Amino acid sequence: MKLGLSRACLYSCSCAPIFSSSMPSLTTIKPKIPVFLRPPTYLVTSLDLQKWHGWAKNLASSVGSSLVESDNGPDSTLLCREINWLLEDSLENRSSSSRFSFSQYKYDTSGKNESVMLRISLDDLYQLWKQRIEERRPFQYIVGCEHWRDLVLSVQEGVLIPRPETELIVDLVHDVVSNYEELGQGMWADVGTGSGAIAIGIRRIFGSYARVIATDLSPVAVSVATFNVQRYGLQDVIEVRQGSWFEPLKDVEGQLVGIVSNPPYIPSDNISGLQAEVGRHEPRVALDGGASGMDYLLHLCNGAAAMLKPGGFFAFETNGEKQCEFLIDYMQNDIAGSFCNLNIVSDFAGIQRFVTGFRQ
Amino acid sequence: MSYLIVKRSCNRFSHLDFSKFQNFLSLNQNHKVLVSGLPSVLTKTIKNPSWSYFSVSKYHKFSHLSGKDKVLASGFGVLKSLFSTQAAVELSTSDGLTIDGIVASNWTILDESESDWKSHAAAIAQSIQVIKRRLQWKKLMVRLDLLSAQLNNPDLWDDPVHAGKISREHGSLMAKMKEVKALERELLEHIDMIKLAREEDDTELESETLKALLWMRRNSNEKELEALLSGEQDSCSCYIEVQGGAGGTESMDWAKMVMQMYKSWAQHHGYGVTVVDEMPGEIAGIKRATIKVDGEYAFGYAKAEVGVHRLVRISPFDSGKRRHTSFAAVAVIPILGDGSTRVQINESDLRIERFRAGGAGGQHVNTTESAVRIVHIPSGITATCQNERSQHMNKASAMAVLQSRLDQLEMARQAQINAQHTQSLTDIGWGNQIRSYVLHPYRMVKDLRTNYEVSDPDSVLEGEIDGFILSYLSASLDKDKDCP
Repeated sequence: MKLGLSRACLYSCSCAPIFSSSMPSLTTIKPKIPVFLRPPTYLVTSLDLQKWHGWAKNLASSVGSSLVESDNGPDSTLLCREINWLLEDSLENRSSSSRFSFSQYKYDTSGKNESVMLRISLDDLYQLWKQRIEERRPFQYIVGCEHWRDLVLSVQEGVLIPRPETELIVDLVHDVVSNYEELGQGMWADVGTGSGAIAIGIRRIFGSYARVIATDLSPVAVSVATFNVQRYGLQDVIEVRQGSWFEPLKDVEGQLVGIVSNPPYIPSDNISGLQAEVGRHEPRVALDGGASGMDYLLHLCNGAAAMLKPGGFFAFETNGEKQCEFLIDYMQNDIAGSFCNLNIVSDFAGIQRFVTGFRQ
Repeated sequence: MSYLIVKRSCNRFSHLDFSKFQNFLSLNQNHKVLVSGLPSVLTKTIKNPSWSYFSVSKYHKFSHLSGKDKVLASGFGVLKSLFSTQAAVELSTSDGLTIDGIVASNWTILDESESDWKSHAAAIAQSIQVIKRRLQWKKLMVRLDLLSAQLNNPDLWDDPVHAGKISREHGSLMAKMKEVKALERELLEHIDMIKLAREEDDTELESETLKALLWMRRNSNEKELEALLSGEQDSCSCYIEVQGGAGGTESMDWAKMVMQMYKSWAQHHGYGVTVVDEMPGEIAGIKRATIKVDGEYAFGYAKAEVGVHRLVRISPFDSGKRRHTSFAAVAVIPILGDGSTRVQINESDLRIERFRAGGAGGQHVNTTESAVRIVHIPSGITATCQNERSQHMNKASAMAVLQSRLDQLEMARQAQINAQHTQSLTDIGWGNQIRSYVLHPYRMVKDLRTNYEVSDPDSVLEGEIDGFILSYLSASLDKDKDCP
């Protein structure tokens, strides 16, 4: 019941302003509670909520496709879907399935004015949706969570929002573990874990003996990842350590059976042209991979050679075809003899996204 | 019956120890004995002026009448043990009214809320007939006779395996037959009772019997449904897909109205509704949409909606306020349960696409758009899902749709092999019009297959389509019967 206790204590501090973006000091970082996990304490009427709903939809419609054209941002259709999700997260679940009470509201055409319990105040709903449209604040920071695979992960400013492409790393690990069972029993590392997404995703497919160490330099990421690990009850099998890349892993050098990572890989020059949601709101430290975008990927290759056991597996996410080919070339020539069975895997959009291989 | 009478006397003489009396009653099959054996306290109260001697004797006579039915019923037990089926004897009220007679009299069936006994009785009689049709009643009786004859054969048990089979089948058919007979008997008893109450001008008894009839109407309606929904996939959950026809915004708006009709219908029935896929129109409405309807018998009902739905109205999108005709096609796909054999899908036959691959992807893009499209290469069948919040879940959802589509394709193929099943789901070509919704110049919704019609299109569009569904289902029952 560790989880219950820590959550209870977190609730008590959820009255802190949810929009503060100041970087708290190392020791006092408490993760923000996602909207869907907050207690439903705000009583509003369904008519007031419908008024907000109408207002939000109007705001979304006014966007049209202008954002798509300017920087590949969201269009009205997508924004309208996000409104539904925001409502889904904000409304109290009267029955066990959250969908039901949300749809009760959604399909209620009776025109009756019934009271509804919300997890955030109506004022906050107005303010949050304004931020979404006017400041392009990412939807996931608004609701404080990202649905990733079958997980719902807490995220907040300072932590990279896990991308759908990255979901595939878990499938890649799953395939490897099905073929080489012993890999599912050893010790893995997710370096630069951010929200803890990959660490949690892969741990859930391993056998009971496997352990995962998740590292991140950012104290915010460490606290958010710890929160997520606890929410899935994995605190005994996933350890979150703070530090740069492999530094916190010195004690397990040469013992890892697998390393996964989604390191910053965007070339520095591209950062300024990024979609507003990314460039203005997500942590640069999780995106900027140096001049060529390869700084950390190369560091990972070198580190993996030292950290992995012979036969150990790695999977890294990259910026695309060029980086994949460069990495393969680097591993085959510059550090020849370290790795074998190198492979490039494409994402669902057909972009060569991942490099995988085994320690020789 | 006797219970009702006793209950009435209890109403009047509340000081009676009713439960004891009831026990006493159930022990006594013979009502004559019952009446003469009344405890003295009751005999005394019967002399109360409010309960005229005349009426007591009437009740008495009546209970004797119903006793005839009782004799018949207990006769079943005897007959059963002799394995004969004189049960084919048609039941009737005291004045000779039979179930078929009721249906033949064509009493108007009014809404449940109207307290009209003839309407209730006609509705119940109709339900009973549907149930009999589904059971293929005449065939069932013939078969039952045959089985009874076999069971009466003293040599039967020389082959215990065969005998067991015969005896089991006999038992199961007998149970079905008795259930229907019990319904018939109950209805006829209620009719006798209500006629009596009218004769006696006994409003209390009349209203009580009306209540009992209403309860029975609902109950037999449910039983009728069970009989209607006995197809192999009927109990499954399903997907409902709606697609707008030619005609741009006008028909996309119509498609959205049709989809909304199903969403409300499903909500009213307590089904879970999830939007799986929705392609909005540019100005209004939807190009197409798929919803998942979760719950028992969702497919059994919804399958009646397959086909093209036609709308006639003054278009809100036409500045000239002209009358427009629009079309929307509806498809319904069962989601087979774990027990059924499902089509095996090879991963290598699939192409999985992200719906809107925006630029460089990965860390460059933050979008909540995680739509997934799956193409089954050998069949060309595709499935799309964009309403889940993660790509992984959208993929899982799209895979489930794809699986059901392939299952349905396979079922259609199988059905062609066994010509027996051909009536199930016909292809939805645009020619296959099933229902017409007219909002102007007059207002009416009419089913072109059954001629069932409703003059209030608003209620229909708000999801009240059960009348259409049920009339179609019972009409297809007749079609079934005509098939060899």
